[in-house]
Amino acid sequence: MTAPLLKVTDLHTHFETRAGTVKAVDGVSFHLNRGEVLGLVGESGSGKSITGFSIIGLIDKPGRITHGSITIEGRELVGLGDGLRHVRGREISMVFQDPMMTLNPVLTILDQMTMALRAHESISDADARIRCVEALRQVRIVDPEQKIDFYPHEFSGGMRQRVAIAIALLHRPKVIIADEPTTALDVSVQAEILVEVKALVAELGISLIWISHDLATVASISNRIAVMRYGKIVETGPAAEVLGAPAHPYTRMLLDALPSRSRPGQLLGLDAGDKQASEMRIAHRPVQSQSGFVTVKHAVKRFEWPTSFCSRLGTRMNLVKPRSAVLAVNDVTFSIARGEALGLVGESGSGKSTLGRMVCGIYHPTEGDIKIDGASVISTGQQGRKLTTRVQMIFQDPFASLDPRRTVGQSIAEGPVAHGLTTRAGARGYVAKWLEAVSLDPAVADRYPHQFSGGQRQRIAIARALAMRPDVIVCDEPVASLDVSIQAQILNLLLTLRNELGLTLLFISHDLSVVRHLCDRIVVMYRGRIVEEGPAESIFETPKQPYTRMLLDAIPRLASEEPVLEEA
Amino acid sequence: MTLSLTKPRAGSEFWAEFRGHPAALTAAFVVAVIIVLAILAPLVAPQDPYDLASLVLRDARRPPGYVGMGGYTHILGTDSQGRDLFSAILYGLRISLQMGLVAGGIAFAIGALVGSTAAYVGGRFEAFVMRLIDLQLSFPAILMAFVVAALLGQGKSQLIVALTFSQYAYFVRTAHGAAAAERRKDYVEAALSIPMSGWFVVTRHILPNALPPLIVVATVQVASAISLEATLSFLGVGLPPTEPSLGMLISGGFQYLLSGRYWISIYPGAALIVLIMAINIVGDQVRDQLNPRLKK
Repeated sequence: MTAPLLKVTDLHTHFETRAGTVKAVDGVSFHLNRGEVLGLVGESGSGKSITGFSIIGLIDKPGRITHGSITIEGRELVGLGDGLRHVRGREISMVFQDPMMTLNPVLTILDQMTMALRAHESISDADARIRCVEALRQVRIVDPEQKIDFYPHEFSGGMRQRVAIAIALLHRPKVIIADEPTTALDVSVQAEILVEVKALVAELGISLIWISHDLATVASISNRIAVMRYGKIVETGPAAEVLGAPAHPYTRMLLDALPSRSRPGQLLGLDAGDKQASEMRIAHRPVQSQSGFVTVKHAVKRFEWPTSFCSRLGTRMNLVKPRSAVLAVNDVTFSIARGEALGLVGESGSGKSTLGRMVCGIYHPTEGDIKIDGASVISTGQQGRKLTTRVQMIFQDPFASLDPRRTVGQSIAEGPVAHGLTTRAGARGYVAKWLEAVSLDPAVADRYPHQFSGGQRQRIAIARALAMRPDVIVCDEPVASLDVSIQAQILNLLLTLRNELGLTLLFISHDLSVVRHLCDRIVVMYRGRIVEEGPAESIFETPKQPYTRMLLDAIPRLASEEPVLEEA
Repeated sequence: MTLSLTKPRAGSEFWAEFRGHPAALTAAFVVAVIIVLAILAPLVAPQDPYDLASLVLRDARRPPGYVGMGGYTHILGTDSQGRDLFSAILYGLRISLQMGLVAGGIAFAIGALVGSTAAYVGGRFEAFVMRLIDLQLSFPAILMAFVVAALLGQGKSQLIVALTFSQYAYFVRTAHGAAAAERRKDYVEAALSIPMSGWFVVTRHILPNALPPLIVVATVQVASAISLEATLSFLGVGLPPTEPSLGMLISGGFQYLLSGRYWISIYPGAALIVLIMAINIVGDQVRDQLNPRLKK
């Protein structure tokens, strides 16, 4: 066996803060062989990104590598200081999560790539252009001769990430560190990038460290997997072994938390073979079928640019091009039965969030009407006001959806007090009741949102929605920004609450496995229209539309997933 | 499920950081001393400058340290009417601070409400209000204050109106900017989706979150209101002679400056400069601390 290409030994990266030392990376050792893909998996705060940054030497103050060694082909990188610049980009390069943040918006792709080239070699403009076009072609960008003069905003998210990969590949590095490179992308784009990266790794013989929170994507690309937690690697081994027969309880917990590995409707995080699990499974309560409880008829939402006098004058004089309106939702009709959970699935830009906001009465539909139990959600007129409290919403980002300057109790109580569900005097008790319903200690009502973790905040947001005693809850990607294990807790909570309170759910998500787990029926949206609709089972088993099939094929799967599904 | 209770309340953290800056701490101390002195002026001042009976014209324009007919030492000298300058400065500070704080406070309240309402309502209302504010801000504040003060005539309440009028636009613009950023945040949408009323959303959600930049503007604007008031009084359109503010003391001594009787103008001027500088230093520190981008 040859010596490994990259070797990390007992790496400690610490951050000195006023509150004390944060041991972000606390004794990590691993190696990377030539041509190998190592998946580095962990939840947020596990130190996986900091490990990547430590290798490439991008740790900012107050952080620093306090102990350990990183060697590439036997050369020590720790303590190299400025000398690392000769290594960075040429021998080790990095691809980041958000390509919009890493590409300079005011420079063309050519300029940026030339700059990267000139960091390590002197090259004429003509040669640089040839090299860059070649690099773009390598990452399967169509028409690279023209595209090279584009600005980053003229590319889609997936294309931008391809450009970032092309830049990382420019100097033929030996190692590429990819930090959550597909997290910001749609599933279908992610699938393409995964296939291409796999092909590139095989073709060029580079080694790759793939950092991700998503076990499934890591599983689909890596030879070996290292699982991190609290700055330490808890388990490492060949991908199939780690996922098939996890040795560490934490790995097992992560796997069990995946909705794709359990039967729909089952509480997550329980061992599939556990006897208790089948008892804990929440049976779908027979719904008192009142079909058409929520009805959306021919809903259209057009976002128009405000036309002022000056812009109209400019348009008339042919000085300004009229900006076209954006048709976010285009003639959508569907209904939800009482007690049903409807999944609304689509990629970014499909109009699913806009539709959800119309159902919840935040946006006014341009045309069509939306009713709950026969009553309109919003009054007519463009400045319509929301008329009902029977539909409430849970937002994606629990850090943004709670007012930072109001206590949790105030946030939960404001709606019920204003709408007479409780009195000002009785608010405390009322809030306590709903905090208990979402498994939080009622004593936390006096704290501010910053004192809670993401999962706890999402519970608070759920409590706020429930405190209005709604019949319908619109959930807009409620678990998209949460770690897998927290996601499982929130999904379990939603499953339980739905059953106990007989809630009707409109569940918006880009994550098909989550939707399948929670929903009875699924609506697939594409470019503002519904392309397919039907019971969850049949959509997943026999999708009729090619778009739906493409979405389903794009989901990265764990190798060990299939038997579990068959069993179910 | 455990919760971290280590994070201290926002206020104490703010104060802890503030204490780490000696210049700001000194300035805050100076402001506090001046405020206390101004409040306690009737007790501290050796003479009541309003009491015409206690004024002795023979003592007029005496240099610092002169022992007057009344038997007490004029440590900062006397002015052209024989008033003890130290006492006059204390009473002047009292009026200046009062003017600055009242006018600043009213402008703050009007500006915060108008600005955040404009940001919340949006559309034509917002465009109209903000263009009006732009129009007003294109004139110098001193000009606006001068015109209003000249139109309304002399008097405390007239001057407050003039000062407020020249100050509120800054608050509107700041409040509008901060509120427009808050308006788009999820928690505002969350409140609207309950549904909560627009008034509730503006006063309980948007305004409290838009407050930090307004507080910074307030410190600067109080200082600027004080200097505006002094300027107007100096020019003779501010307070009546019965309410001797710092500006009037300065203008009263102005004509003697070249004849060597510097103290009549210089000491009130120095008091004014110290007060305005101290407020500005405190304001700068508050701004730096509230700006998350400057946070380490």
